[in-house]
Amino acid sequence: MSTLLQIEDVISGYDQADVLTGVSIEVPAQQITCLLGSNGAGKTTLIRAILGLTPARSGRIMFEGVEITHEATHRIVGLGISCIPEGRRVFPGMTVRENLRVGGYTETKRDAVDKRLEEVFETFPRLEERADQLAGTMSGGEQAMLSIGRGLMSAPKLLIVDEPSLGLSPLLVKENFKVIQRVNELGVTVLLVEQNVRQTLAIAHQGYVLSKGRIAAHGDADRLRDDEEVRAAYFGN
Amino acid sequence: MDFGLVAQYLLNGIVLGVIYSMVAAGFTLFFGVLNVIKFSHGDVVMAGAFTALAAFAGLELLDAGVGMFAALIITVAGIVAMATLGAVLARMLILPLRNAPPLNTLLITLMFGLALRESVRLFYPNGSNPKPFPQLLPDLSMTFGNLALRLDSVLLIIVGLGAIVGVHLLIQRTRIGLAVRAVAQDPETARIMGINFERVVLLTFALGSGLAALAGITNGLYYSEVNFGMGLLLGVIGFSAAVVGGLGSIYGAIIGGFLFAGLQTIGAVWFAVPAYKDVFAFGCIIVLMAWKPTGLLAERSSERV
Repeated sequence: MSTLLQIEDVISGYDQADVLTGVSIEVPAQQITCLLGSNGAGKTTLIRAILGLTPARSGRIMFEGVEITHEATHRIVGLGISCIPEGRRVFPGMTVRENLRVGGYTETKRDAVDKRLEEVFETFPRLEERADQLAGTMSGGEQAMLSIGRGLMSAPKLLIVDEPSLGLSPLLVKENFKVIQRVNELGVTVLLVEQNVRQTLAIAHQGYVLSKGRIAAHGDADRLRDDEEVRAAYFGN
Repeated sequence: MDFGLVAQYLLNGIVLGVIYSMVAAGFTLFFGVLNVIKFSHGDVVMAGAFTALAAFAGLELLDAGVGMFAALIITVAGIVAMATLGAVLARMLILPLRNAPPLNTLLITLMFGLALRESVRLFYPNGSNPKPFPQLLPDLSMTFGNLALRLDSVLLIIVGLGAIVGVHLLIQRTRIGLAVRAVAQDPETARIMGINFERVVLLTFALGSGLAALAGITNGLYYSEVNFGMGLLLGVIGFSAAVVGGLGSIYGAIIGGFLFAGLQTIGAVWFAVPAYKDVFAFGCIIVLMAWKPTGLLAERSSERV
């Protein structure tokens, strides 16, 4: 089993404060790896470091064996990493179709984009019904769907999903997790970042627990489920 | 007042409206994509006209300074030069100041505009005097009663409107336009989608500055004269037009541009002294802005560019 994404001893943060104080994780190909942690543990900072939005101060980030630590964001994304950002972040003034096209921006061939558009519409028939509606006028659940569809438009090798359950009803959360699982079954490696422990560990193969900027625990999903440290990481010591 | 005279005023107003809209479109593009106000924009209009003038001097040396072909060459020269200047400016001055307070960008571009204006005055041969701008467009006109419909005015209107519509279509219909709109709506998410943020910014500044050059050249061809200070008034008018129309919207820029030209024309007709037209137009704009502080097409934060 090969490692798709490897993070070695990354230190990162904003201005003077380090949020991550030496984090190492491995994301094996074809699997769902989850990153658990409470608010302020540094989950989003780690994603920003991977994507080059807040480059790591030290340490290395390797994707398919190539170092991407200090690459520009559009280059990193161009290598096959896609992100479904926290809070959906759809482009409100664009139609559903345009949002999806932006998602497929790294693909320069028009017919390849059209084909993926059809695939996404197949997965989410609701999006096709609303293809010409402005994304800003849709409900939260529909925007979540659009955000996932947009993330798939680049046919990524690695899909990073940041807090997909945030602000959604339990029913929608369940639906979203099912979609993520299905995407993974189609061969896409997933890095799932979540606070929702139970549901995340139900679909993940393995995971890491991030606490106060370092890895507090890692292992198979089964092991993490009844690990004391997971509980400690969430409820304090 | 007879029909011919009214039509003459109307035609004049349309040419002015096209010029102002082109300048305003630049302000709107820059603001839409980067939330900055570039005060040197008016002086770029002027520098575009002077670049064309210099290109004309070059053509004259080659004995090629006549006719439509020469007009095309000097226009392209002005546009290319200013588009390049716009991209360089964005790279050297505006992007580095992106995380500084917006006031700094405003100030630095204001100073750059001043430096550009004074450079033309000092270094262009005899630059402090108004310079005659070559008449390269066909000197034909059709007369209907009192109305002399000049072919060159019609041509300037067509080219100017074509340029604005072209920019609008580029932004609404093409892949690169999609990237520009994505950056305007949410720069960070646009980057996550794999869009090269810096390239989009440079392109936008090149586009807006190219339009400014075309506005300056149109102005020169229409009035047969340019001077180093012409960008000052054109810049303020373009900025007012963009704000009144609603910064961030290309339609707003067009509406604002034509509105200002209309007000000037009304002012010119109304008052016996034509010099009052700017006072009248700016007065109306002040009242309008007090009434609609966010512009006629108020920008919903979601619908930029």
